[in-house]
Amino acid sequence: MNENWLLAQIGMPLLKILILLVPVFTVVAYMVWFERRVLGFFQSRLGPNRVGPLGLLQPVADGLKLLLKEDIVPANARPFLFKMAPVFSFFPALVGFAVVSWALPWVSPAGNRHGFVIADVNLGILLILSLSSLGIFGIILGGWSSGSKYPLFGSLRSASQMLAYEVPLTLSVISVVLLAGSFRLSDIVAAQQALGWYFLFPGLVAFGVYIVAAVAETNRTPFDLPEGESEIIGFHTEYSGMRFAFYFVAEYANVVLTSVVAAALFLGGYDIPFVKDAALYATHPRLVSALGVCSFAAKGALFAYFFVWIRATWPRYRYDQLLRIGWLVLFPIAMANLVLVALFKLWLLR
Amino acid sequence: MSAALQFLKMVTFWELLKGMRVTHKYMVKPKVTELYPDVRPVLPYRTKGRLHVEIETCISCRMCEKACPEGCIKVFPPPKEVFKTDKRPAEFYLNQEHCLHCGLCVDPCPTGSIHHSQEFELVVFDHRELLFDRERLPYDLDQTRYRWNWIENVPVKK
Repeated sequence: MNENWLLAQIGMPLLKILILLVPVFTVVAYMVWFERRVLGFFQSRLGPNRVGPLGLLQPVADGLKLLLKEDIVPANARPFLFKMAPVFSFFPALVGFAVVSWALPWVSPAGNRHGFVIADVNLGILLILSLSSLGIFGIILGGWSSGSKYPLFGSLRSASQMLAYEVPLTLSVISVVLLAGSFRLSDIVAAQQALGWYFLFPGLVAFGVYIVAAVAETNRTPFDLPEGESEIIGFHTEYSGMRFAFYFVAEYANVVLTSVVAAALFLGGYDIPFVKDAALYATHPRLVSALGVCSFAAKGALFAYFFVWIRATWPRYRYDQLLRIGWLVLFPIAMANLVLVALFKLWLLR
Repeated sequence: MSAALQFLKMVTFWELLKGMRVTHKYMVKPKVTELYPDVRPVLPYRTKGRLHVEIETCISCRMCEKACPEGCIKVFPPPKEVFKTDKRPAEFYLNQEHCLHCGLCVDPCPTGSIHHSQEFELVVFDHRELLFDRERLPYDLDQTRYRWNWIENVPVKK
């Protein structure tokens, strides 16, 4: 174990984590601002615009407010689980970012290649799927350990919702994986670059299923059953202050992660549209890397906007309706699409 | 044809997309929020704000005092000798605190000396700031911000 090994195995990932965490937290914080602002626009108002220019300091004000609030643990709650539940929700939402490949590797002046990814594991998309399932446990635990009946019902709805969307979500992702031939996110993007068009076209049905399931996964309208912000009482009724903020950050981190993964799976990720990336990468590697991050961010923002859009438009489903959609509509569609995509791959993409 | 169209509408979630189109129309429309302290509102012509009294043209007839349902106007005419030449009131008390902004004092005034201005920001820290006398009545209103003028009781027919 020499110093270089330590640097490569521990120092570099730590540095990457630092470099990644700052933008991710910023983006997650400003996702809240973005959503409130755009939602306001959809409702013919302006949204938060008092704190700082364009209301840009609103996330800071919100964070400060939540930090200074009293942290209440109800008398009936199970204290340890009650306190740990937001962390269970928060942690998987952030870990998912580790396997997302943000751009083609950065070529340093010395000629070393540093991947724009913390851990380019070969089961990246599976890791994201399993971690997002883990995040649900935070919600279920939070509602159950609150010692109150309404949060418990929120948890029940969350559990039933998980039964509804997990299978279609995985099936829709599997069809993309089938096309790309790899679970690794950078391989999926590379396959789209090699193919010449994005998986949005051959995977259009899978894309639709993924969007529906992803909205359900991130607990957002029209499938915000566990939370039920507008009418019914949700799982975080008993939470206050920073623990509540953890749930919120987890939700928005999930939104960002889902947007980014959708962009990687169906819109070519960091591929720059209308440009032959591989040819340009040979001559201007750093330019392609930088532009790739921008392109990725723009595609992710497109999905984020879409999520806000459907939140502003559609009313909420009941959880039995969601189960029916998940198992009687999305599951057969995703299954049939999987077969079609397999045939497509077999006959057309040899 | 119709069945095919219906099927197409079903698989493309046409009705949901229609809803999204409607909401997005509102997204790009101008917003209704008023940025009040930053942008002054454009008030209607007949806005009934704080009462404005032109002491110079007042003839101390006390019609406004009689008309006021709240009794918030008190007019003291000058002594008889002075009144022959100068009809301006010796003292004019206006209790804006009790004013209903009903406009009943404006109607009977023969000279049009009392009327509503467009000043609507009547919040004060001390309620005595809303008691006006002859010295304070011709208060310094910014004509560009709070215009005041004789407003006809009946809308002008065009």
